[in-house]
Amino acid sequence: MNRTLTSLNTFFLVLLFLSLIFSMFSVPNLNIDEKQSIKINFYELIQQDELLFDSPASNTLIKKETKKTSAINEKINADETSIISKFKINKLDLKNEITKIKLSKEREDILRVSVIIQERISSIWIKPNSLSESLIAKVLINLAPSGEILNFSLIEPSSNTSFNESILTAMNKITFVEEVLSLERKLFEQNFRNFNLVFKSSGEIE
Amino acid sequence: MIRFFTLLFFLVSNSIFTILEIEILKGSDNLSKVAFVPFGAEEGFEEDYGEQISRYVEKNMLLFGEFENLDKSEMLSYPSSENDFFYRDWKVLGVDYSVIGKVNSVNALGNLNISYFLFNINRRIKILEGEIIGNEDNIEDISKIISNRIYEQITGLRGIFDTKLAYVVNSDADTYQMCISDIDGKNEQILFTSKAPIMSPDWSPDRKKIAYVSFENGLAEIFIQDLQSGKRDSIQALGMTNSAPVWSPDGKSLALVVSFSGNPDIFLYSINSKRLIRLTNHYGIDTEPSWSPDSKKIIFTSDRSGSPQLYEINTKSKRKKRLTRDGNYNARGRYFPDGKSIFFVHGNDGNFQIATKKLSSRYIETLTSTSLDESPTISPNGNIIIYATKDGSNGYLGGITLDGKSRFSLPVKNGSVREPAWSPLLN
Repeated sequence: MNRTLTSLNTFFLVLLFLSLIFSMFSVPNLNIDEKQSIKINFYELIQQDELLFDSPASNTLIKKETKKTSAINEKINADETSIISKFKINKLDLKNEITKIKLSKEREDILRVSVIIQERISSIWIKPNSLSESLIAKVLINLAPSGEILNFSLIEPSSNTSFNESILTAMNKITFVEEVLSLERKLFEQNFRNFNLVFKSSGEIE
Repeated sequence: MIRFFTLLFFLVSNSIFTILEIEILKGSDNLSKVAFVPFGAEEGFEEDYGEQISRYVEKNMLLFGEFENLDKSEMLSYPSSENDFFYRDWKVLGVDYSVIGKVNSVNALGNLNISYFLFNINRRIKILEGEIIGNEDNIEDISKIISNRIYEQITGLRGIFDTKLAYVVNSDADTYQMCISDIDGKNEQILFTSKAPIMSPDWSPDRKKIAYVSFENGLAEIFIQDLQSGKRDSIQALGMTNSAPVWSPDGKSLALVVSFSGNPDIFLYSINSKRLIRLTNHYGIDTEPSWSPDSKKIIFTSDRSGSPQLYEINTKSKRKKRLTRDGNYNARGRYFPDGKSIFFVHGNDGNFQIATKKLSSRYIETLTSTSLDESPTISPNGNIIIYATKDGSNGYLGGITLDGKSRFSLPVKNGSVREPAWSPLLN
């Protein structure tokens, strides 16, 4: 019995080690690609939009992308059999295409929820007046899958006390981020279980 | 088990990779909501000092439109001590901050002992606790001190409710009055009345004197008036005309405009030695000087490029730098208290508006939406600009907070009000 348990433990450890290695080298990397920056702000969003869809109309992007994705999916489903039968198409290429589309959809979901969170925080953060310096403060948020804010902490405060206080006051106004409920669990765990809010002020005249 | 490992896998991978960061650049357009609870008072007072103090504090705090208040009829309770205060009573009303207090006792000299508290409702913490002793005849001054402390605690900026404003009132066609008042328009004092124009008032840093230009003797002449005694001294014989005096931050000299043989240039004038030092020497018109907070530079208006533009000159090296290029009218420049930005009158298509510009940037930002704005002056905490503007032929003083959330006008006087100058803070 003991031997069985020991070997099971060893098996789990090996599996854990493999998952670590696997996660380092082969997980689709949504987070760190420079071109696909995960830092969300209004300007970057526009740039993202242009990059992704060659369209300047940011408001219609998500709709466009959804349409585009579903259209591509339908097209792929309908044509896959016939194409493969007609031509000896490289199945690996096809898989890569599908992965790309999935990634694009995931990124779209991350962007969508990030923008909503950004807008919600902006709507409750009363920024102090007359800040004469450029300030940055970072808050780490720990979310439950239900969207409940389990914890937050000012991990990188700015040099300005009232700026920091305004952020803590704003963070105390919000208890739930319900928007994450619409995400797949995997995406939530990857991106929203723990995330940072970076509060910025570029000085009194912006 | 598979689920467990899947979750573990995501957690591990999440901790390895860069964490998602969402940038928040824009703040809310809403104002902080403050509940000014009527102060309590011990029994036995003939007058309701508590009610008076909280009313004055509320009035002060709302003066520039920086906060929203909670109507007393909506309050669920009127706590006057920390023990009676419950955060939930205010949280449900959407209040951000609550001010409570109590007039505790009066001693043999007639002095009141007032305690006050400020609570941050969202954070559920007391952020200010204070006590002040003052005479019952000075309720308004006591309220200003309390208001300043509350304002400082909420905004992180110095309170300005005990500052003053100097301005010129043109009550009828040929009567000009040099006036000062509290920042809320109360306690107006007329310093000087003349049948000839009065211009360009400026406070000495210690708030004891005002320098201004008067045409009472036919030419532009600079006077320094002591506010305590009312005594006026002319600084004369500096050329044909003298104008636009501005005190240096140390109060030892004035930057001013002297016109020798009709050509105005910028000079420094030492109050003690009465010595004059030339700063600019150009055939164009150089005028409207103003000191940088560190006294090292002076901003001035010059038409040397063909149109009025702002320039900066180093008082030691006399090296000059052009600061504005957009538009064909940029004048009456002043530095922000931090010295990093300037504000000025920007003319565009016949509209004259108050604009700001970071010295490190080439872009200007227009603040006001009226069209005939002039003579901007900034609060000593750098948060509010008051300027003269016009409604038809009547001049009045308008104001704006730098975040643009609040625009206001100051109480109307009998006549056109011009040339406002905000006093420095009392240290």
